[in-house]
Amino acid sequence: MSVKEKLKKVLIEDLNLEDVEPEEIEDDMALFGDGLGLDSLDAVELVVIVQKHFGVEIKDMEEGRPAFQSVNTLAQYIEQRLA
Amino acid sequence: MRMAIQGIGVSGGFGRGVEALRAALQTGTVEVQQGCVERNGGTDIFPAYRASIDGLDEFIPKRALRRIDHFSKMTLLSACLALKDAALLEGDCSRMGVVIASGYGALKTTFDFLDSYLDFGYSCSSPTHFSNSVHNAAAAHVSIQFKATAPSLTVTQFEMSVPSALLSAQQWLAEGRVDQVLFGAIDEYCEVLRYCRKQFFGLGEQGPLQPFSFDKQSAVVGEGAVFFVLTRADENAAYGCIDTVTLGNHLVCPVKLPQDDLLIIGADGHKECGRWYAQAFKGRETAAYAPLYGSFPAAVGFDLAVAALSLRDRTFYASPELSGAATSVVTLHRKLAEEKLVCLKFGPGGDYGLVRLSI
Amino acid sequence: MSAAVPIVITGLGCLCGAGMNLAECLESMFRNERNPHPPLRFSTDHPVSYPVLELRDEFRLPLDDQETVYARTSQLALAAAFEALADAGWDEESLRGKRVGVCIGTTVGCALNCDDFYRAYKDGVDPEMGVIERFLRSNPAAVIARQLKLDGPNQTVVNACSSGTDAIGLGASWLRAGACDIVIAGGADELSRVTYAGFSSLMITDTEACKPFDIKRKGLNLGEGAGMLILESEAVRGAKKARGYMLGYGSACDAYHLTAPRPDGAGLKQAMYEAFAAAEVTPEMISFVNAHGTGTPDNDRVESRVLSEVLPDVPFVSTKGYTGHTLGAAGGIEAVFTVACLRRGELPANIGFSAADPELSGAPVIENTRIDGNIAMSESLAFGGNNAVLILGKGDA
Repeated sequence: MSVKEKLKKVLIEDLNLEDVEPEEIEDDMALFGDGLGLDSLDAVELVVIVQKHFGVEIKDMEEGRPAFQSVNTLAQYIEQRLA
Repeated sequence: MRMAIQGIGVSGGFGRGVEALRAALQTGTVEVQQGCVERNGGTDIFPAYRASIDGLDEFIPKRALRRIDHFSKMTLLSACLALKDAALLEGDCSRMGVVIASGYGALKTTFDFLDSYLDFGYSCSSPTHFSNSVHNAAAAHVSIQFKATAPSLTVTQFEMSVPSALLSAQQWLAEGRVDQVLFGAIDEYCEVLRYCRKQFFGLGEQGPLQPFSFDKQSAVVGEGAVFFVLTRADENAAYGCIDTVTLGNHLVCPVKLPQDDLLIIGADGHKECGRWYAQAFKGRETAAYAPLYGSFPAAVGFDLAVAALSLRDRTFYASPELSGAATSVVTLHRKLAEEKLVCLKFGPGGDYGLVRLSI
Repeated sequence: MSAAVPIVITGLGCLCGAGMNLAECLESMFRNERNPHPPLRFSTDHPVSYPVLELRDEFRLPLDDQETVYARTSQLALAAAFEALADAGWDEESLRGKRVGVCIGTTVGCALNCDDFYRAYKDGVDPEMGVIERFLRSNPAAVIARQLKLDGPNQTVVNACSSGTDAIGLGASWLRAGACDIVIAGGADELSRVTYAGFSSLMITDTEACKPFDIKRKGLNLGEGAGMLILESEAVRGAKKARGYMLGYGSACDAYHLTAPRPDGAGLKQAMYEAFAAAEVTPEMISFVNAHGTGTPDNDRVESRVLSEVLPDVPFVSTKGYTGHTLGAAGGIEAVFTVACLRRGELPANIGFSAADPELSGAPVIENTRIDGNIAMSESLAFGGNNAVLILGKGDA
């Protein structure tokens, strides 16, 4: 499973997005605000998700913010950190 | 200041809604569910009164519930039912205070949060679980759901949570800070609670719950949520009115019970509290309804709901379980005339809460 | 909302990272000292260590070895209550026969945060029940009532970080309603590994000493302690001097988000205006504000916005640089400080602040500052969107 696919799966599971299918999350869809509709509490949960499922630590929100734009940017961030 | 009860929403071991509670009162029986914990290769089976949250999505879209735990779901369901009962579900809630009483708060979520760091390390501590484990999270979810921007209060002090919180609800209405109070009492079951109760009470948890066997441990674990819509009593009450709320300690200054009032005692099979009831109720016409919803600190709220229903139905309902009961315990449903009802709850240390209600 | 009668405050008590009693706290704050350090009372495997403000010394309660039966939060509550009662000239004997209410705010004091117990349970060991028994004995308001053999209304408020402020407001209303003669009101909270883990997970803790209202603020430092006031009816007070007055209380809920404050601060404003109305004061009469000022980006932004709108040019200070964020205790400790600063006619510098944030509308006091007025405000913002405000008045002793 690619990082993007795994990301979509764990987003749905760990953020309880029961009404969303992985296919419905587009790679460049905004995670926060109008796109997937996540908020500030999801953002900090997302830090835990990335740590728990990918072993990648995000130290603070300033570091996380650019990565948290979309599945694309987050997957890219994770891949870079794992490389 | 008197408070009028305008709506009730309830969910517990007997089912959901005021009519389910009324049916349980009329028949005097509730089928106790079976709890089950798998641990250390063994299976622990025990009786438990569990509350269902089915039907919550009739009121609140699933998406809005995605981060909300079982405790707050029980809370929201009963809150919605109470507002519906009071015809306020679609109304303006900006002058409605929210007051919530819970003996233990969201127990399951408290342990879910510990799971997050015990299982995966501190850097994986879940902020969502943590936020939901904070005791006023349920009140926050209620306020957000109904846009209730008036004052909000959560009280946690075991058996005294409900009478104590009621004191503040009464104060808010008296001071004109709010026009209504959405008052709730909630406690939830979890596996660790079962472990603790088993360690403390052993076979005393096996039931059946016998509230009048004061010197015997017979408590059966329960959970549930009950909400009331309260207003000042200058409006007509849909159910009845709460006249006074008194807290004190029986050891420091013995509780004074009005002689002619009918008593609903919060005895729930806890031997440690039983002795206080035995001392206090002497000869008064008394009932106890814990066998309909089980034993948990917020069950005082369920006693209040029964009192409110009794006032509405002009019926003093029979006690469902009479083992060990003195002759003054009410054994048959009987018509209520002008009598007042008193709900009395004791904590293990002799601290008590007394809530007096009338039509 | 009806106007409230002023309630006399006859005693103050407080202990926290700034000092073991009120006098010590004031001394260290006006010397602009603080001592954040990594937690010593517990450890975690967290890769980052966040400084906290722990009590500097062990403390002993004047009890016969009974302190071991209560959890630390309740011990803190008792210590501050004893100090405040002594300040007001009360002891267990003289309280006998009085109707005494107890209203205490807390967070940890009501949470079953027994992670060692739970770890053992998960590991399949049957843990001993001592820690649970202690929890069940340790409800803060109930402990004070039981320890002093009190008969009267009793409430433990768990409104997260505004608990202490709410408890004082609610306790005062019991006196006004004639439900009791004396109220012991305030807040108490201990530092706990559980809240430490929780606040780090929310990413609102600073890895350095906190910097309330500063441009480089990164978050809060957790703290621990308790702050208590003794409130009395005029009948019981007699000729006793007033340490201060509790003039008004207001509270409102954002109804916006579980953890984030409402960006426009409407709930905080509503709470302020309710408190002004209750105290029958106008904003011009406020001489200073003890702000919530946790040092988190969100809190300080909303708070400074509302302060600049409602109370422009009124000096404000966050004392959390000295005490850390003591959660349910914060409102109690800060109300005590507010009354003490009115009495002293001086505010301590907002420690941790060095450069203004252009995004914020105002700046706190940067040095110890003389103040002249007789009325001040203490405010708290909390999880769940709670906002609570107290209007406090200067006493005559």
